[in-house]
Amino acid sequence: MFRYPSPEECPLDEEEDGFQALGEEDEDIDQFNDDTFGAGAVDDDWQEAHERLAELEEKPRGAGQRAVPGGEDAELLGEPEDTLAERLTRLVIDSELEDPAIMRAVHTRAPGAQPAPLNAGIWDGPAVLRRIRGPLLTQEMPSVSVLDYALPQRPPQAREEERDPSERALPRRSSSPVIGSPPVRAVPIGTPPKQAAVPSFNQQILCPKPVHIRASMQQRYPAPYGERMSPNQLCNVPNSSLLGHPFPHSVSPVLTHLQRAQLLGGAQAGRMSPSQFARVSGLVGSPLPSVNPKLLQGRVGQMMSPAGGFRAFFGAAPAPPPPSQPQPPPGPASHLQGLRPQPQMFRPDTTHLHPQHRRLLHQRQQQNRNQHRSLNGSVGDRGGHRGSHQEQARKDPYANLMLQREKDWVSKIQMMQLQSTDPYLDDYYYQNYFQKLEKLAAAEEVHGDGPKKERTKLITPQVAKLEHAYKPVQFEGSLGKLTVSSVNNPRKMIDAVVTSRGEDDETKEKQVRDKRRQTLVTIEKTYSLLLDVEDYERRYLLSLEGERPALMGERKQKICDMYDNLRGKAPGQERPSDDHFMQIMCIRKGKRLVARILPFLSPEQAADVLMATARNLPFLIKKDAQDEVLPCLLRPFSHVLYHLPLGTVTSLVQQLTNLPQSATAPAPTNLHLAAVLQNKFGLSLLYLVLSRGEELQSSDTSTELMQDNQWTELMLLASRELLRIPAAALAKPVSPPSNLLSLFSRYVDQQKLNLLETKLQ
Amino acid sequence: MNYMPGTASLIQDIDKKHLVLLRDGRTLIGFLRSIDQFANLVLHQTVERIHVGKKYGDIPRGIFVVRGENVVLLGEIDLEKESDTPLQQVSIEEILEEQRLELQAKQESEKLKVQALKERGLAVPRADTLDEY
Repeated sequence: MFRYPSPEECPLDEEEDGFQALGEEDEDIDQFNDDTFGAGAVDDDWQEAHERLAELEEKPRGAGQRAVPGGEDAELLGEPEDTLAERLTRLVIDSELEDPAIMRAVHTRAPGAQPAPLNAGIWDGPAVLRRIRGPLLTQEMPSVSVLDYALPQRPPQAREEERDPSERALPRRSSSPVIGSPPVRAVPIGTPPKQAAVPSFNQQILCPKPVHIRASMQQRYPAPYGERMSPNQLCNVPNSSLLGHPFPHSVSPVLTHLQRAQLLGGAQAGRMSPSQFARVSGLVGSPLPSVNPKLLQGRVGQMMSPAGGFRAFFGAAPAPPPPSQPQPPPGPASHLQGLRPQPQMFRPDTTHLHPQHRRLLHQRQQQNRNQHRSLNGSVGDRGGHRGSHQEQARKDPYANLMLQREKDWVSKIQMMQLQSTDPYLDDYYYQNYFQKLEKLAAAEEVHGDGPKKERTKLITPQVAKLEHAYKPVQFEGSLGKLTVSSVNNPRKMIDAVVTSRGEDDETKEKQVRDKRRQTLVTIEKTYSLLLDVEDYERRYLLSLEGERPALMGERKQKICDMYDNLRGKAPGQERPSDDHFMQIMCIRKGKRLVARILPFLSPEQAADVLMATARNLPFLIKKDAQDEVLPCLLRPFSHVLYHLPLGTVTSLVQQLTNLPQSATAPAPTNLHLAAVLQNKFGLSLLYLVLSRGEELQSSDTSTELMQDNQWTELMLLASRELLRIPAAALAKPVSPPSNLLSLFSRYVDQQKLNLLETKLQ
Repeated sequence: MNYMPGTASLIQDIDKKHLVLLRDGRTLIGFLRSIDQFANLVLHQTVERIHVGKKYGDIPRGIFVVRGENVVLLGEIDLEKESDTPLQQVSIEEILEEQRLELQAKQESEKLKVQALKERGLAVPRADTLDEY
C-alpha cells in the first residue's frame, strides 16, 4: 500500500515494525474504493466528532506556546519534532485509532526531517484521520519530502499547478461550510470545517502531480454536475443545510484558526519562490502557539495552497482576486496573484450565524488582525509593489467566483451564435456600424497624427454554408412511420383550407381594398428588387472576375423589373394610364420607393417618372397631405433634372404648371398651378425645374434656345402667375434656387422683377 | 482581455456592483458574480431597493439568481458616485409603509377614473395582461 520511492524517505519509527505486517496485508486493497476508504464508509456524527476535536484542542494549548520568528528551515525542521512526538503519544493513548491504515500513515510519517506543518495535521484526531483514505495516504509518501525538494526548485511546479483552472480560491468565510466534509446532513452551516478536509488538501498540494489531486478530490467530493469540480458547488452542498444551528462554543477557536490560515495564505503573493515558501512555513510556525496544533493542519493546508496552486476549499483562500478592472490578468494565475495579506477590512456576511458565534468570531478576528500585523512584515515587501492593486483585490474577496474557464465558455456560446455565412445579411447593422467607424478612423488618420485608438473589432467566425438535407428521423424496428415533429419538420396543427371567392361576391369596397393590397404587394416586391440592386455593388467587389458580367446582367434585369412594376406592365408602347404609378405614389412607402429607385433608372425612364409625377401633382399633393413625404423626392428629382435636355424640361414645366400652350386663352384660375405653388414640394420642384431651364439657357451658347418659343411662353405665363398669387399663399420652398431672378429678368420688367423678388424670398 | 468588443456582453461586468431592474418592477442592487448565455444573473450581497418619492429603503436579500428573461435592464453602479444621491434613505418599515400608501392612493385614483368613465358611458380600459404588475 505504501510504496516509498526511496528508503530514505520512509523514516522508521520504532513502532513501525508492528504495523509493517499490516501493511503487507493491505497491498491489494483498492484504495480508491469509496465505500471502504471514501466518504461512504464514514458514518459520522459531527457533533460527537466536534466535541472530540474540541477536547483535543484544549489539551495541547499549553504545550505549543512558542513563538517562532521568521522562518528558517533548520529551525522549522527542528521544532516540530517535539510537538510531533507529543501528539503521537497522545494518539497512541487515544483509543480511537482503529483504522490500521491510519495507524500506518501515522507511523510512516516519522518525525525527524519532516516539517511539522506538513505532517502535523495528519496525526491529529482520529476522527479527522478517518477521513483520510488509502489513496490519500499513498500520496503522502511522495509528498513527505516535498519540502526537501520544494524549497530548492519548485517554482515551476508551483506555477504549473497555479494554472490549473479548476482550482480556485473560495472567498473567506467566517464560518465556512466545509467542502471536504462529509455529506450535507452531517455538517450544517457554521460548523467548523472538519480537519479531515485539510489533510487531503495537504497531500494534494504537496503532491507534485496535479493529476493526483483531482483524482482524489473527485473521489471524495462527487460534484453535483459531475463535470465541474467548482468549489462553489461543493460549498453549496453543505450550505444547503440548516441555518441558525446552535453552535458549540468550541466553534470559535476553530474559526480563529481558519482566519489565521487565511491570513497566512494571504500573506503570500503570486508565485511561491523557495524562499517564500520557507518564510511561509515559518509563518505557519509562529502562530502555532496560540492555535490548536491540531488545527495547524488546516493552516498548513492553506499555506500550501499557494505553493501548489491549489486553494483549500474552505475559507482558506484569501484571495481576492484581481478585480475585473482594465486588464484582468489571465484567469488561473489571477487566483494566485490575488493572494494578498488579508485585509482587516473584510467584513464577511455573518447574518446567518448564531449571535454568540458572531461575537466570538469578531473577537477572534480582532486578535488575528493584531497578530497578523506583526507577521506581515516578513512578506510585506513582496507584495509591496502591488500595493494599490492589492487594495482593490482585498476589498472583494468574493471576486472571481466565475472562473475564467466559465467566462470563456459563455463567450464561446455567444460567439457561436454569431457564426454566419453571410454577415451582411445576418448582422447588417453591426457591419455597417463598424464600417462607418472605420471610415471615420481612417479619415481621422489621414489628417490626424495616427491611429488614436485601436478599435478592437469583433471578428465573427465565418462559417461555410452547409447544405443540410433534412431527413426526418427514422426509427428502427418500429411499426409504421412515427411522426416526430421538430423545428425542421413541424407538425400540421390546423387544417386550413384556402377558398377563393367568386367575382360577383365582391363589393366595391372589397375591390378597392384588394386593389390597394395588390399595390402594397407590388411595392414590397419592388422593394426587394431594390435592395438586391443596391447590394450588387458590394457583391461585385466580393465576387470573382468571371462572375461579374453575370452579376451585371442580373442587376440590369432587376432594374427593368422594378421600372415595370412602377409603371405597371403595359403591353403597349404607350403608357396611357398613370394609374398604376399613382396608386403606388399614394402610399407613403411607394413614394420612398420611387425616391430610391430613381438613381438606378435610365434618364428616359427617370424623365418618364418625373413627367408622370408632374402631371398628377395636385392629386398627389392632396393625397400627401397627411404623410408629407413628397419632399423626399426632391433630391433624386434634382439629380434627374441635371441630366435632362431643355425639351424635356420645357414639357416638364408645362406639366407642372398645366398652363395652356398658348397665352391667348388665359385661364382665370389655374388650379393646377395654384395647388403646385401652394405646396412646398410643388413649389420647390417648380423652382428646380425653372432653375434648370435657366442653367441650360445661360450655359448653352447656341441661340436656338433663345428662340424656343415654347419656353419663352411658358416663362411669361409662369411669371405672370407668380405675380398674381399673393405672397402669403406661396409655400416655402425647400431651397430657393439662386438663378431664378436672372431667369425672370429675361421676361419681365424691372418693376415686376422686384415684386417677384420679394415673393421669392 | 477585452471580451467581444463591440457587443453587449456581460462578462466585463462581472464582480461589479449593478443595479438590475426586473420585469415585476423590483430594483435589485448587487454584485454580479456569474452569468450564462441566457443572461441569467447571480447577484451577491443583493439589496432590494424600494423607491417611493424621494425616499428609498434597502432590504438585504443575500444571493439572488435571476432568470435572464425577467431582466428589463441592468447597469453598473459607480461606487464613488453611489452615495451622491439626492434621495433619502429610510428604514425598511418606513419605506414599506410609504409604498403601501402609494399603492393605495394609486388604486383609489384608478377607481375614481373608472367610475368617471362609467358615468359617461365610456368603456373601461382593460388592463393589458402583460402589465398587470
